[in-house]
Amino acid sequence: MVVRRSTSDLAFRNWVLEQPEGETLLRCYQCGRCTSACPVAAIDNSFNPRLFLQKILLADESLAEEQLVWTCLTCEQCEVRCPEHVKIPHLLILAKVRGLVGGNIPQAALDRARAILAGGRIIMVNESMLKTRDKMGLPDLGQPPVDQIASVLKEIGLAKKLENVESVYGGGSNE
Amino acid sequence: MTKTVVVIGAGLAGIQVTQQLTDLGVTVHLIEKESIIGGLATHLGRVFPTGDCALCLDACEELFDGHHRRCQYRSLLTSKKNLKLYTQTEIRSITEVDGKFSLSIKSHPRYVLLDRCVVCLECINVCDVEIPDEYAIRGGTRKAIYRPISQGVPLVPLIDMDHCTQCGKCVEVCGVDAIDLAEKAKTRTIKADALILATGVEEKIPLNLPGYAYSESDDIITQRELARLIDPTGDTDGQVITSSGDAAAKVTMILCAGSRDLEATEYCSQACCTYSLKHANMLRDKEIDVTICYMDLRVQKASNHYLDLAREKGVKFLRGKPDRVVVRNGKPTTIVEDTQTQQRMEIESDIVVLASPLSPLASQSEVLADFLGEYGFALRVVKEGRVYACGTATGPEDIPTSIAEANAIALRVYADLEGGR
Amino acid sequence: MSKMKTYTYFPGCMVPFRLPHFELAARAVLKKLDIELEANPGHACCPEPTTFTGVDFEAWITLAARNVAVSETTGLETLSLCSGCFHTLAVANHMIQEDENLKGRINERLKTVGLKVTGRLIVKNILHVLHGDVGLERIKKEITHPLTGLKFAPHYGCHLVRPLEATHMDDAEQPKWMDDLIEVTGAEVADFEDKMACCGAPIMPSDADKAFTLTADRIEKIRASGADAIIVVCPTCYTQLETQQKKATAKFDPEYSIPVLYLGELLAISMGMKDMVISNARRYHRVKVGPLLEKIGGAA
Repeated sequence: MVVRRSTSDLAFRNWVLEQPEGETLLRCYQCGRCTSACPVAAIDNSFNPRLFLQKILLADESLAEEQLVWTCLTCEQCEVRCPEHVKIPHLLILAKVRGLVGGNIPQAALDRARAILAGGRIIMVNESMLKTRDKMGLPDLGQPPVDQIASVLKEIGLAKKLENVESVYGGGSNE
Repeated sequence: MTKTVVVIGAGLAGIQVTQQLTDLGVTVHLIEKESIIGGLATHLGRVFPTGDCALCLDACEELFDGHHRRCQYRSLLTSKKNLKLYTQTEIRSITEVDGKFSLSIKSHPRYVLLDRCVVCLECINVCDVEIPDEYAIRGGTRKAIYRPISQGVPLVPLIDMDHCTQCGKCVEVCGVDAIDLAEKAKTRTIKADALILATGVEEKIPLNLPGYAYSESDDIITQRELARLIDPTGDTDGQVITSSGDAAAKVTMILCAGSRDLEATEYCSQACCTYSLKHANMLRDKEIDVTICYMDLRVQKASNHYLDLAREKGVKFLRGKPDRVVVRNGKPTTIVEDTQTQQRMEIESDIVVLASPLSPLASQSEVLADFLGEYGFALRVVKEGRVYACGTATGPEDIPTSIAEANAIALRVYADLEGGR
Repeated sequence: MSKMKTYTYFPGCMVPFRLPHFELAARAVLKKLDIELEANPGHACCPEPTTFTGVDFEAWITLAARNVAVSETTGLETLSLCSGCFHTLAVANHMIQEDENLKGRINERLKTVGLKVTGRLIVKNILHVLHGDVGLERIKKEITHPLTGLKFAPHYGCHLVRPLEATHMDDAEQPKWMDDLIEVTGAEVADFEDKMACCGAPIMPSDADKAFTLTADRIEKIRASGADAIIVVCPTCYTQLETQQKKATAKFDPEYSIPVLYLGELLAISMGMKDMVISNARRYHRVKVGPLLEKIGGAA
């Protein structure tokens, strides 16, 4: 028998409600239109946005550990059709954020985040790219202000968090 | 001195409040914009809670105690001395002077004289014009001189001048000289002590409702349209057929189609759960397979037996709001999550029926704008001693509630005007 | 000579370095319409909205707000050619407008680098600029090589359009602006199922198989409409629709191929700059556009 971890203190739910646009969760009346609208649910019956919202409503933080939350396209088809304008993809994003510590994050997502902090861009810019721009007559864009990125994120402490995270997720390649 | 009241709208609530007030000795001017009275009920065939013919209801006080019922045909509406009915009439302005209302109203010509016509209907027989019938949904037609429905009151036909060719055949055949092709619109001024809005609702046509493809297929219809399809006096003689003429074997209903939705209609229309169940039961009697997709069922107490009956008759209930209806191989297919089994379903059917919200008709009139509140509905007492409302003008409700409200408002107006004597 | 209008150009990462032909075409088209783009060295990654948000949302919106604040210092409207960047800047800007608390704590962080965000910035995508600011009439005047007889499928992509309250686009389900721009070139707009369906790219990092299924379905439906090419705005959609086609060819149908063109390229061709597009075709288009360009043929 599997004993599911549950939190009786509503910590997860309360945290979501405190986030920007998190309180839209409370408008959900579980009609299921999101699930019938979702293109991922159409090809995978285990991906069910309505159930994800139910889990958050019930403060069931096991959602943050589910790899499935990362297969949300953020296409917002559910949100467009939601009769109550619940910010569904955004709520799933918040669940993803809660899963970071446990390593529920695709490797590529982790790589991108580290690249942004280190170089200010999600891709490595090489010589040939710069040469091409030059040949095309496109202006030089300079170097992103990496020091500013570090400075504004200091209070959040993201760099430190990322240092300790290991992806237990795996998943596809970058791009 | 006799008090005078103007009732705006001759649907069930308007008729009821008028009957009550005229019985109490108040003079009533009853103003209706259509050519016949009855409002939305004229579209519905049978109505709840009793399953009676809507057109035979006089909305009288005997309605719910099982005694005799009067038909609109035999109603007193056209014979009471202190009651004046104006059909095809619009209100052009309302002004308040010295505690009295002055209304300017314009009656459009019927071209058939009410006090002469004997309803022999020979005129309709000889008319050569055939155009689509507004009450039909499977291509039925009517003449240029016509009666919208055969039981409509007044029973006298009218001429649709937009389509009349002025050939004169009806004038020739009429034995009582009742047809006057040159009749002009009449503008009158009416003075009144109080106004009652009984302007009612209409079912919203879901042309621009995302997802449910109403405009893409004639097999995606509304509950009002289904009522026309089931009506034995409708253009299909009560046969439930698809747009291609085949008998329907499978029907899917979507409740709250555009209701309780921030992007469409925010409120609950209250009556649609019940009439959807009523229709589902009628379809089951024809052995048609029925699935109802719902979020929750909001059946008014007086109509709970429709729900019990639907369960008995094997109507299938699926809890989930469909995202969309797509037309595949000519058939409407409903895509929905069954939230109880957590299965995503694709239900192919012959006809999909949308329970579209009921929206207030008063909000379409500029002269009434000042009396309206949230969503275009009016309070029951808009202005103490002056302006009142009853029936669905105050918000969507079922027939029993409308009638009860009309009775209550009649007494309230009477007491206010007569000083509580 | 008419007066030039200048926008602050938000470059992001994908367009300037991976797909510079987007920038080249866009600049050339905009120049004909008297518009200049001015980059600002203060900008960094937007950051991208599909995975970084799920790493740390607060960090995402803080970095986005920093970019917005940099843009604000220019005093100009900001244009991004990338739908992801546009989405990030527009959503962050909108959230800051709506949430005083959020704005307050972000400004505390921005203070450390001498910046401040007010929420007054106007963030635009290429459709806002072409359809709204320039207008179809003006563009029509520049069309020297009408693409009559061709049919194109506009793929808008999710992040360009949604959420409406932040993007200020015309419609979340049936957008029309790109359709209008295709029609201005003299071409026909293809009618296909699921106009606003996602390209599948956002879940490449988490589930490449599912992403492929969605992309293949998307391409299938567009091909069924008989379109000559898919027209895109977003560099990520472009990459996804192109790279996955090869896989699809192997899996389903050897004929499985439909060119993908950037809207800027389409306009450039119709404005007589076909040579510029051809010169980049081989390097930056994985699905051959040669046959299509020949079809446009004699015109340019």
